[in-house]
Amino acid sequence: MTMTLYHGEPVGPSLTVLAALFESGLETDLVRIDLGLAERHGGAIPLGFEANYSVEGEGPVLVVDGEALVDSVFIGCLFDDLAPECGLRPTDPYARWEMMAWCRWMIERLAPGAAALANLAWTTPRLAALDDASFAARIAPIEADDLRARWAQTRAGILSDDHRAASEARVHEAAKKIDDRLADRQWIMGEFSLADLESYAWLAPMRALLPAAFEDKPRLAVWLARVAGRPSVVRAAELARSADPVGSFAPGPEINRWG
Amino acid sequence: MTSDVTLYHWEPNANSGKPMLTMVEKGLSFNSHYIDLLAFDQHKPEYLAINPMGTIPAMTHGGRLLNESTAMMEYVEEAFPGPAMMPEDAVDRWRVRWWMKFLDQWLCPSFSMIGWSLFIGPQVRERDPEELKAAIERIPLPERRIAWRKAIYGLFSEEELAESRRRVDFGIGKLEEALAKREYLGSSQYTLADINLFNSAYGLPSMQPDDVNDEKTPNLMRWLRAVARRPAVRETWTYSRVPRFAERILPLIEEAA
Ligand SMILES: N[C@@H](CCC(=O)N[C@@H](CS)C(=O)NCC(=O)O)C(=O)O
Repeated sequence: MTMTLYHGEPVGPSLTVLAALFESGLETDLVRIDLGLAERHGGAIPLGFEANYSVEGEGPVLVVDGEALVDSVFIGCLFDDLAPECGLRPTDPYARWEMMAWCRWMIERLAPGAAALANLAWTTPRLAALDDASFAARIAPIEADDLRARWAQTRAGILSDDHRAASEARVHEAAKKIDDRLADRQWIMGEFSLADLESYAWLAPMRALLPAAFEDKPRLAVWLARVAGRPSVVRAAELARSADPVGSFAPGPEINRWG
Repeated sequence: MTSDVTLYHWEPNANSGKPMLTMVEKGLSFNSHYIDLLAFDQHKPEYLAINPMGTIPAMTHGGRLLNESTAMMEYVEEAFPGPAMMPEDAVDRWRVRWWMKFLDQWLCPSFSMIGWSLFIGPQVRERDPEELKAAIERIPLPERRIAWRKAIYGLFSEEELAESRRRVDFGIGKLEEALAKREYLGSSQYTLADINLFNSAYGLPSMQPDDVNDEKTPNLMRWLRAVARRPAVRETWTYSRVPRFAERILPLIEEAA
């Protein structure tokens, strides 16, 4: 099995997948791409239908024997399937259910909100700095109409008041959910797991944008520091090339259209 | 029944049908608890005590609660004996999970939006307006509150319905391609992804006969019949109480048999 991981700066889904890889002890080639400039679609990666229509949007891509795999939690599950002792997932079926349901909440509720706020703050200025022709050339190869539309909206800095309010509410909810969860434990599942990585990767960047969501949550603050200090996360963070990788987002999951 | 597993479900389709069909395929006996979605049973205090999200389905195993239908299916697969409903190969497993997410978060919400605008909304709209208003207020998840409001008052925009129709048409094409490539969805064996899809797609040949038929989508039709032929599918439909849903699947089951 040959594996190549195309990843962006260690933030959001790229952080989850890089840290999960280091947790697993598996070997892959690492290739850095600038997800925020649509380099994923530059032609070097053999994107298939699944990668083109990833619900996660512009996350990292793991190419396994020529097939492009996406969606950070499922790449994490794959690492865990390949290295079952690595602890990315608990072994008990009920704990596994709880972890998958937890990650689903983060994917479906936190991620779209966090991505919308992060992109407006950091990706919009990057894209607005491109001239029209260069932007058009970068997004032309994107297959999914709805993803291409999100790129155009991101460049134009469009986020409706309703969507902004819903996005902020989700960041607040996620921060509270994690803080509550930590009342009797150090990690979300008791032991460290993929749930810590996925939650951290989306929530931590929000400290810069919505500090109010983090106020008076001492357990959350300690957990954020604990995850940041995890050797796999430290190793992923060391791959950063920018002074602050938090600015390296890319259009993420869409805000749910239907309940 | 003596089972320590109870499933809280509505009709044996969509999200409710996912864990139910998985249980039946695994040969797991369970207590069935029908929650009438159209009577807003899912927002009543008795049910909120079981599933505070007020969504269907939920299950209990002993004293433990589970919700989120896709995660429930994986639990049923892992916690109980019976035939394997996930492939062995790690990349196949990834693909099965990918498809389930694509269905849960991209394609099926579009099916659902159309279904709610055409069927659920009109069905419920006739009731006492004050009662409906109160019913909406009781919905715990804000997204579900918005969904019900749109369905009841017919507030779907033309634009969002058009986008849902686009996704359904596009999705049908992609399903056809995927099922031309592999015998089942994402792998060469019947898995949780097939259960997931079947529960939302069984009505396509009868509801969109011009788009889903033996000429245009031969692989999707082959696959629909193969799944419809399974005894477990027939068994789950014995739990149906709304004839309108059963009417849509029974012809497919009969024809496939
Ligand atoms: N992600 C959840 C969604 C559950 C869900 O929304 N179910 C719908 C029925 S298919 C529901 O409960 N609707 C009731 C309501 O909105 O009041 C799952 O997969 O279980």
